[in-house]
Amino acid sequence: MNLLDIRNLSIELVNEKQNILAVDKVSLSMKEGEVRGLVGESGSGKSLLAQAIVGVLDEKWHVHADRFHWRGIDLLRLSIEERKALLSRDIAMIFQEPMACLDPTNTVGEQIAEAIDTNSLSGFFWQKQKQRHEGAIKLLHKVGIKKHSACLNSYPHQLTEALCQRVMIAIALARRPILLIADEPTAAMENTNQSQIFRLLASLNQLKNMSILLISHDLENITHWTNTITVMYSGQFVEAGTTEQIFNKPLHPYTRALVDSSPSANFHLPAKSRLMTLPGSIPILQHLPIGCRLGPRCPRAQQDCVKAPSVTNFHGHKVSCHFPLTPIKSPRKWLKGVC
Amino acid sequence: MLVFTFRRLNLFLFTMLVLTLLSFSLSFLFPGDAIINVSGAVNATPTQLLSIRAAYQSDENLFWQYIAYLQHIANGELGISMASQSQISTEILNLLPATIELSLVALVIAMFVGIPLGFIAAIKHNKPADNIILSVSMLGYSIPVFWLGLLAILTFSINFGWLPSAGQISLLFEIELITGIQFIDILLSDSPYKWQAFGDATAHIILPACVIAVAPATIFIRLARTSMIEVLGTSYIRAARSKGLTFQQIIFRHAIRNALIKIIRHVGLQFANLVTIAMVTEVIFSWPGIGRWLIESIYQRDYTAIQSGLLVLSCFIFVVHILTDFIYAALNPLARGKKHGS
Repeated sequence: MNLLDIRNLSIELVNEKQNILAVDKVSLSMKEGEVRGLVGESGSGKSLLAQAIVGVLDEKWHVHADRFHWRGIDLLRLSIEERKALLSRDIAMIFQEPMACLDPTNTVGEQIAEAIDTNSLSGFFWQKQKQRHEGAIKLLHKVGIKKHSACLNSYPHQLTEALCQRVMIAIALARRPILLIADEPTAAMENTNQSQIFRLLASLNQLKNMSILLISHDLENITHWTNTITVMYSGQFVEAGTTEQIFNKPLHPYTRALVDSSPSANFHLPAKSRLMTLPGSIPILQHLPIGCRLGPRCPRAQQDCVKAPSVTNFHGHKVSCHFPLTPIKSPRKWLKGVC
Repeated sequence: MLVFTFRRLNLFLFTMLVLTLLSFSLSFLFPGDAIINVSGAVNATPTQLLSIRAAYQSDENLFWQYIAYLQHIANGELGISMASQSQISTEILNLLPATIELSLVALVIAMFVGIPLGFIAAIKHNKPADNIILSVSMLGYSIPVFWLGLLAILTFSINFGWLPSAGQISLLFEIELITGIQFIDILLSDSPYKWQAFGDATAHIILPACVIAVAPATIFIRLARTSMIEVLGTSYIRAARSKGLTFQQIIFRHAIRNALIKIIRHVGLQFANLVTIAMVTEVIFSWPGIGRWLIESIYQRDYTAIQSGLLVLSCFIFVVHILTDFIYAALNPLARGKKHGS
């Protein structure tokens, strides 16, 4: 049974002038204990997808999905309150820009303490208060902050970005989530801090069997930490598979280009030669191409690409392209549309 | 916090210096002799005039004249009124507390009505409640205060007879003047009719304070609404939602405090506006405050009174401004304390 199973999730920005389909029928599935990377350029809708899963999008975004299962429970059948209660209990999210995600007027201690589930506490309110405080200290130790009293009493602006991200992770851990969604957790961080955060996430995954959905724009950087990767482009599903499949045998021209554009994959290139990149840039939301949105930039585009391709599955390696890179030997092996 | 306090006091000192410079230059800008304008001695004999001239050092250059003027202010000598020939400082001391009382009560009413309404409008953004609150605030803002005051007297004092129309307290009660602020004086007095007097004073202050509060309240509604909408769109509210907090918890623990920080700065600025409205309202409701006195002085061309009255009023507004700055610092951890690397 999949932990999370989403099929054909669309997110639409409802506007007076025109409705913009920011995320177009993206499917995502996760198993227990898995670390899945969600990769795409900025503006490819990966953060939107994550926020739609947690349910913190504004009213101006309309979310629609064909299937949304969480541990076998059909969330689409539940009422909004039930869904919210279930998701906020089991799924936690950490955001990019951790400093902006902490309330600037409350101390870090209060913010961690209030995230602790009331049901896990017992006794009268003063006892609960004490338990909350102790719980906050434990959480800080878990994320590797030793000077807990200094950290608890400080305001977010007094901490560094990396410390704030650790605090955010501590807050996320407060409810003992089953799935942690990390939305670019290391954006605007130095390399040492980045690897510290990633190591922390990896240890949480291994010790607590916590699944992690790791969102990043940097394919190369997250491949060390993920089991499986989903690639998105401009709000559309591109390719999903294990990290080896994606990195070594990409099927989609876009994934190929992503892999080729990283310097370490091109160490055989002669010095001072240009890296392989796709021509053009990601389309703006107001002028999205029809069909496959990569069409205008794709080196393999043909007439069929004005129609959106359906998802094809090669032994769990899913790709959404009319003309995938590896030629398919026998068409009978195609398994249509199973994600 | 000490540095913050020191900075505010510093700012206060220099602003007061600029204000005295302004009021000093007024005595030259008003028609008539500068020395008579500044001292108010219109009926002085030549010998008295000579001693006044000596006191204000009017034979020296402008700088020494200004220093002499500052010395007079520091000693509390604001001259005598041209119209009544009484000491202006004692008149102001008698009248200013009434204005402080009225404007502070109005400010409290405006804040307690305006800010929650603005928050409600922001929470119900783009819903009927929001539109109703916004249009009512537009209406309240565009009503001229003198007309509203007269209308309030006509309705509540004359038609219904619920509230008194003029004055600070009924003449039946004799309250000894101690601090000048009526409510405190009543509580301090040992009259057997203390609580009746208190009730009467409350009835007297309701109507003028509400009339004054209307315009600032509408401004607070809009300020509160915009700042709340802004706060509700920030990442930390989104993060709080993903934490699993309920909507009430988010509003009361995170949103209100952050929204208040944005508003409180404007309260100080709005206070100047409120005092201006209070001056007009004092005339309508015959409130024995400094505003009415100042307007009467303007009618009587009492230049000495205008000069000192302006100085005292602006000083009062500035003190309130600094107080709101302190409240701001108390609410906002970013404003107080050490700043690293900035």
